Amino acid sequence: MKISPFKWILIGASAFLSLLIFVFPLFAAATYSFRGEAGKGRSLANYRWLLEQDGFYPNLFTSLKLAALAGILSLVLMVPTMVFLNLKAQRYKPLVDFLCILPLIIPVVSLAIGAQVAMPEFVQNSEYELVFFFAIIALPYTYRALDTSLQTVPLKTLVEASRSLGASWVATILKVIVPAIRSGILGALFLAFALGIGEFTITSLLHWETFPTWTVGAAQSNILGAIALSVFSFVGAIALLATISLISRRGTKPESLESEDEGVLL
Amino acid sequence: MTNAHGRVSSTLELNGVSRFFGQVKALDGLDLKVNPGELVALLGPSGCGKTTALRIVAGLEYSTTGSLTVNGVRYNETPAHQRDMGMVFQSYSLFPNLNVTENIEYGLRARKMAARDRSKRVAEMLTLVELGSKAKAFPHQLSGGQQQRVALARALAIEPTVLLLDEPLSALDAQVRGQIREEIRRIQIDLGITTLFVTHDQEEAMSIADRVGVMNHGKLEQIDTPIELYTNPSSPFVASFVGLANRISGEVSAAGVARILNQTISLTRAVSAFALGTKITAIIRPETLILTSENDPEATRGLIALKSFLGPLTKLGVAVEGSPLIHINIASSDVKHLEIGQHISFKVTASEVMAEHA
Repeated sequence: MKISPFKWILIGASAFLSLLIFVFPLFAAATYSFRGEAGKGRSLANYRWLLEQDGFYPNLFTSLKLAALAGILSLVLMVPTMVFLNLKAQRYKPLVDFLCILPLIIPVVSLAIGAQVAMPEFVQNSEYELVFFFAIIALPYTYRALDTSLQTVPLKTLVEASRSLGASWVATILKVIVPAIRSGILGALFLAFALGIGEFTITSLLHWETFPTWTVGAAQSNILGAIALSVFSFVGAIALLATISLISRRGTKPESLESEDEGVLL
Repeated sequence: MTNAHGRVSSTLELNGVSRFFGQVKALDGLDLKVNPGELVALLGPSGCGKTTALRIVAGLEYSTTGSLTVNGVRYNETPAHQRDMGMVFQSYSLFPNLNVTENIEYGLRARKMAARDRSKRVAEMLTLVELGSKAKAFPHQLSGGQQQRVALARALAIEPTVLLLDEPLSALDAQVRGQIREEIRRIQIDLGITTLFVTHDQEEAMSIADRVGVMNHGKLEQIDTPIELYTNPSSPFVASFVGLANRISGEVSAAGVARILNQTISLTRAVSAFALGTKITAIIRPETLILTSENDPEATRGLIALKSFLGPLTKLGVAVEGSPLIHINIASSDVKHLEIGQHISFKVTASEVMAEHA
């Protein structure tokens, strides 16, 4: 396909703007984060400072743990629900679609306070209550990731084939549906995990400390350290995204093999 | 009945089975018995209820009324995964994440069969469907025909009481369809497995089945051997649906007799009760029409408007005043001299014909 000169100009202008808005600040932040003592030379001092902070590892671990649990909770709740919706209750999909958008519409303060009082006391008194909140705020994204994936597979036929071969519902979901929508599941897992690990407002409102809330305090005392923290968080998120994307791509389809016999394929 | 492999074949029976979807009657009091080792095809137009019947047998749909039994045991309340029925779907429905071997052993794993027995059974099935070289291939690496053979092997691996085939050849191209059809029949006879086959393709049903059931509006119009169905249809619908047929206007001229074209022909007993003077539409097979001399008092004159060579037979389309194009099938060797635009004379040789109200 031949691209007209006008389109080349548009592409060039878009690339330049992206560079200016996105890449340049990141490059500047990375450059600052490697500045040495008193702003002179290049060193890893700011990253060393970051790793030496008391709260770095515990809070990072807490965030990773809560986000991972939120991802798992999202899948445990959403995969069977979405399968049921797509198989047996198509007419209720618009309603569920609307309900899943609510976390985007309801103000975070109302959501945090309102949902917290609905939880049992032993959950309210534990940092694990955040797992439920993270799963709730990820709902609009996990719903769509799973729904899109389920639309691409012949769900009804696969389920019927599995059932007629003697498999139970649990076996059908675990052995047939989950592998068939693996990319959607990984997408939903990543979205819930990413939202959980970066969540600040609800955690702060409910007075819990995770990595994002800890960084606000930690960054006050060392501006270059705070920049190093931003770069660390950004690179970490990109690395995580790339890893999950790689795993999901490798798992979806085996590499195509050439047919051994060249004759007419029956 | 025990087959050559020592397996016992089952009897499948549906008695008064109905299925309503709201006000719509998808199946209306279906009575059907499939004998041990028999292959019965349910044939009919879209929406006639044949697939609903098959899905009720498989346990994928429930019946509103009636009973379903296998070897006399009631199956109505048995869930699909406990029915021990093998099903082959139109769209193959192989599990995309599993290779051929894993697909075939899926049902065996669900039954917790020991690994050694499983491997042995999979090897047997691969030999049966002649796909030994594709054991490790994934579904997307196979052609449509190969995928359907794997689906058949997967359904047979569990040694089902009844094999259910839901339009398994529809998604295949014509040449492969013929080959797979013969393969299904060979395997079915070899294993002696009781089989219910659903299709809308009459050629498919007639060529593969021991008996064919023609369905219309949720009811079984007739169930018989293919030859009986073709030669002695019980209703105008069956006569029209099975095989090619000309629909020619006529009028009842005496009790059980009608004037059709220039002839007086008896009506079949099933429709012989028309009153004198009733306008009818006779259903006449193309092969029961022959060329004749123009001096024959029973001859009808017409103009050849169409000539299609079909190998041993040639189909002539003859335009006759006051009638839609009449098709005549004649041996190709007898019509070499005939060309489009030429006038010919022909007559009906059938001793009696099926008819319905015009």
